[in-house]
Amino acid sequence: MGLRLDTIRECLEGVIPGHIATCDGEGMPNLAYLSQVQFIDNDHVALSYQFFNRTRQNILAGSPVRLMLTSHLTGAQYRLALAYLRTETSGPLFEQMKAKLAGIASHTGMSEVFRLLGSDVYRILAIEQVPGPTVPPPPPVVNYLTALRRATGRLAGCGNLERLLETALDCLGSEFGIGHVMLLMHDEARGRLYTLASRGYPQSGIGSEIPVGAGVIGICARERIPIRIGFMTSEYGYGRTIRDGVEADGQGDSLETAIPLPGLPEAGSQMAVPITAYDHLLGVLYLENVADLHFGYDDEDALVAFAAQLGLAMHHHQVAEDLAEDESGTAGAPPAPAGEPLLIRHFAANDSVFIDDDYLIKGVAGAIIWKLLREHMVAGRSEFTNRELRLDTTLGLPDITDNLDARLILLQRRLAERCSFIAIEKTGRGRFRLNVSRPLQLSVAAPH
Amino acid sequence: MLDSDNAAFIQTGVSISLASCGPDHLPNMSRGLGCKLLEGVNQVAVFVRRSQSQALLDHIRHSGQVANVFSLPSSNRTLQLKGIDARSVPFAPADLPVVEKHLADFILEVIPLGMAEAVVRAILAYRPDDLSTVVYTPCAVFSQTPGPKAGERLG
Repeated sequence: MGLRLDTIRECLEGVIPGHIATCDGEGMPNLAYLSQVQFIDNDHVALSYQFFNRTRQNILAGSPVRLMLTSHLTGAQYRLALAYLRTETSGPLFEQMKAKLAGIASHTGMSEVFRLLGSDVYRILAIEQVPGPTVPPPPPVVNYLTALRRATGRLAGCGNLERLLETALDCLGSEFGIGHVMLLMHDEARGRLYTLASRGYPQSGIGSEIPVGAGVIGICARERIPIRIGFMTSEYGYGRTIRDGVEADGQGDSLETAIPLPGLPEAGSQMAVPITAYDHLLGVLYLENVADLHFGYDDEDALVAFAAQLGLAMHHHQVAEDLAEDESGTAGAPPAPAGEPLLIRHFAANDSVFIDDDYLIKGVAGAIIWKLLREHMVAGRSEFTNRELRLDTTLGLPDITDNLDARLILLQRRLAERCSFIAIEKTGRGRFRLNVSRPLQLSVAAPH
Repeated sequence: MLDSDNAAFIQTGVSISLASCGPDHLPNMSRGLGCKLLEGVNQVAVFVRRSQSQALLDHIRHSGQVANVFSLPSSNRTLQLKGIDARSVPFAPADLPVVEKHLADFILEVIPLGMAEAVVRAILAYRPDDLSTVVYTPCAVFSQTPGPKAGERLG
């Protein structure tokens, strides 16, 4: 069996630039440096098309193609014979390469020069290793098979969505050695992703949002493909992009901008991996590191496999919660709390909720907490079910595909961070309790 | 064909690659281990390892056509020369200091960029008895530095 490209993928990261050789009709060779070689599978690679140059003229005229790639880890050199198949100018492959190229361009001071015009797809005809000495590669930092095996086992042992998400982020730290991570859930109806959990940041950012299509995270969600960038680039810096996206689509009011997205101010490496189940996007895992080229193809593969497990488990728990037959508990009303009343204000225009003067949440989660607090005040209720929320058409829950339990977790965590007198506590499948330890005063605020 | 600036440039710590095409137009290429100029600046001599360059040298013998790229990693300044009269000649031991100086210059160039020296030395490792010299007269010179002038013919 010949050399497999998946065993030498470090050569594609561009640490040592690859070369491409082509030939014109008169047999004159042409040599050029490659910005980017993208692994597709063991039989296909894609090269970035940035300029209409001699290389491109030769390729379009039918020239055979030779690449030379060099491993920055071992010094091994490889020559590949390729045949051009097609050029893609949109879609997942193009977006993956465009994002990666933005990082490379920024790193090499070529931000104004490098623009991806297309992803040229080639069939690999042959790979040969060039004779010569090599050095042993450094040992891998993580054994990904072990990490995946252990993480998969830990996910399988989780009894509910909240536990699952906590365990997933714990696994990314302890098994995969990833220090900065966010988990964002997909709000399909609003075209948003909202942060439900994070690790490694001073502020959790729970409740912060990013539009689908904006930055590394948003493009990952839109295309449902992993996006990996090896160098810092402002083009894909989500902090700026989020604002630009909001202004561009005129939805500044509906996007959660009061809660800042967490993140490293200067991430050298970024990776976003979609979490899907049965063709549905459930969310995105976002990982970053201050170092350049921190994430490679193996990291991407491991995280994609992990996200696949996580997606199936999330889907399972969502279905289980929605099918739960448990009815609301019949416990009597809790004793009336004492103390100064908390002023809860609700703005109907965007369902934003403030506790005293502190912003809590808006949108669907805001509508939910407002309903719960009203029921608590009017009917003295503390026990609730997911099902009754689903049946309440005033809440604006998108549809059955929406992960209601994730929204309740968001609300639960936001409350835990912002208010010590109101808490949501899960009491069983599809059931939860509202704990209120101060008197409440509810106020419907006039629109600004 | 080569001005003095470019002539000096290709003899610094640049990355050097050489390509040629076979009768079937399938190209091949190898890394060069330094170069020197002959007949003033009219001819370029590039040193390659025969063990890594059999197809390249066969193609050169067949067609004489060669593409030769020089690129400085720290600046991306890149130059491509073309030749139609390339030939392979035995390596002259007197040229060994040129090869050694190139290796030293290249290491000085790429170590600050984060490359491991052992890896660079592996990539450019050679035995003197494995070296061959490709000599050609540049017939075209192109800038390949990324940017608006990439591909511009300089001579």
